[in-house]
Amino acid sequence: MQGKAWSKYLLSLPPLTYLLVFFAVPTFIMLFASFRYAGEYGGLAPWYLHEHGRLSLELTLENWQRLVGTDIYLRLFAKSISYAVITTVLCLVMAFPLALVIARSGHRYRDLLLLLVILPFWSNFLVRIYAWMIIFSPVGALTRMINALLDLVGAGPITLMYSPTAVIVCLVYVHLPFMVLPLYANLEKHDPALLDAAQDLGAGQWRRFWLITWPLALPGITAGSILVFIPVLGMFAVPDLLGGTTGIMIGNVIKQQFMESRDWPFGSVLSMVLTATAVAVVLLGVRLGQGRKGRG
Amino acid sequence: MKKILFLLLLLLASPVWAVEELHMFNWNDYISTDVVADFEQTYNCKVVQDYYSGTEEMMAKLLAGASGYDLVIPTQNAVQALIQQGFLEKLDKGALANLKNLDPAFLNRSYDPGNIYSLPYAYTTTLIGFNEQRLKEQGIEPTSWAVIFDPAVLAKIKGKVTVMDDADELFGAALKYLGYSVNDVDEKHLREAQAVIIKAKPYWAAFNSSSYIKELTVGNIWVAHGYSSDMVQARNDALAAKRNFMVNFILPKEGAILALDNMVIPQAARNKKLAHLFIDFLLDGKNAAGLSNDVGAGNPNKAALPFINADLKELTAIFPDQQTLATLETLEATNAKVRRLKNTLWTEIKLQ
Repeated sequence: MQGKAWSKYLLSLPPLTYLLVFFAVPTFIMLFASFRYAGEYGGLAPWYLHEHGRLSLELTLENWQRLVGTDIYLRLFAKSISYAVITTVLCLVMAFPLALVIARSGHRYRDLLLLLVILPFWSNFLVRIYAWMIIFSPVGALTRMINALLDLVGAGPITLMYSPTAVIVCLVYVHLPFMVLPLYANLEKHDPALLDAAQDLGAGQWRRFWLITWPLALPGITAGSILVFIPVLGMFAVPDLLGGTTGIMIGNVIKQQFMESRDWPFGSVLSMVLTATAVAVVLLGVRLGQGRKGRG
Repeated sequence: MKKILFLLLLLLASPVWAVEELHMFNWNDYISTDVVADFEQTYNCKVVQDYYSGTEEMMAKLLAGASGYDLVIPTQNAVQALIQQGFLEKLDKGALANLKNLDPAFLNRSYDPGNIYSLPYAYTTTLIGFNEQRLKEQGIEPTSWAVIFDPAVLAKIKGKVTVMDDADELFGAALKYLGYSVNDVDEKHLREAQAVIIKAKPYWAAFNSSSYIKELTVGNIWVAHGYSSDMVQARNDALAAKRNFMVNFILPKEGAILALDNMVIPQAARNKKLAHLFIDFLLDGKNAAGLSNDVGAGNPNKAALPFINADLKELTAIFPDQQTLATLETLEATNAKVRRLKNTLWTEIKLQ
């Protein structure tokens, strides 16, 4: 028995080390970088100077002061979090019925439906965004159709492209499978006898859903929400391409620091805050999932 | 089974037949494909191209350690920064017989005195491309930066304008509009420029540095702030697609940014010999003319002039005369402090 436990740890050691090293090391590098000065042409300035036989540390708090010295970055975080929350909720609302249908359909169709859910992954992420750019295009069929309908009722034309709505529609589209798959994995395991028993005892459709399916699905909901929320929070490609002048998110500003401004220290500060936000959300999600379970 | 094995063998064996490769890092849409094909045929090699759409993006990639490029086409301010970083290889002038073709007016500039590391490739201006018919319908005569900055003008073309997603270019245009130099780093002047941008922003559809050629050609966008060479392509594409409108462009009367692009070889290049061969090939008059005829760029090559289409040579936006040239400025390399200031102002703009 003891030997078995030992071999279990031995087997999980490589993946565990892999994950830990490649999460922890970059995080510490960034944490350190956030206290350093930016190099004149990009990169980082040396963190110590050896002058007149004396060693002086070249570390600073100014990068962190820049974060809190103005409200623009906090507002940007708030905006990104709201985009991520909206996307997660929309994904959940759309994915739940779909996952339920797949989980309760016969084995013959189940695999086909699952395949259809992951089918979009066969084409590249950017290609899918460009497809949305064509769909939303002002001279595209969709926009023209909507505007023709609006014209009938006397309303002015609208533009779909380059708007926060376009960003959210695309974010939901891209992340929907990440919600469907964990939900399906969870719902599929539910024992149908529970629902039958509830029905026999006189519970209506809604009560059966809220008292049985929903609480049992919470782990799946938590997993799916985390899988959607975190990548959306740091997203930069979608707002870059579809966001126009108002759709910017925190990911765009982080990208700017490392690319356009070549300001690694401040980029590190923003990345650290983003990582901390993500960790906080995961902890909160796990907490919520457990809390409900305890009460149920 | 035998057939499959044979195919597998073929797959494995293909590297044996692989020809020499030249890895090039260039602005997007900034080389004549015919000239590249000619070179590949002449020297039995393959030119592998990677593209970038902004100087800062290219610098970030190179300085973050992207290696393996044999030839890079950076703009003058980037050349200066790359030289200071010790990133570039000294050019072997002995291997460049066509060096004599270059116009001395574009040589020996302050960013690389004596052209030790770089040779001019082509030049562009940053200007305004527009949809002739749509602007005429609105009664707008584009002559100045006002067409992208003045709310009174923009009110008529709201949502039909894009500007470059590039702080240096957009601040440069706004500074020019205000009558300052594009290299002005005075915080007060930069704040004035920021105010101009913020006032105009609600009327813009997007910040776009990469797909405005397409947007102009399709007719989604009526006014775009972008590079002259791109506008020539948008004009040609719209003509070729037989649109019911013309794409045209003007150099604003307040002046604009002139970008002199150069050929450089990184120290880490793997195939310096082939890179020199390609530079010399591109310096040949007829080949250099391709950059103007096919791409719409200005040309620093004297020997190319006879081969350049006459209608192109007449355009002062592409081949500026002395008077126009006096209003144009090149961007200088900026230090970390200025970049940080500009980025803060830029982020504030984006968040408005």
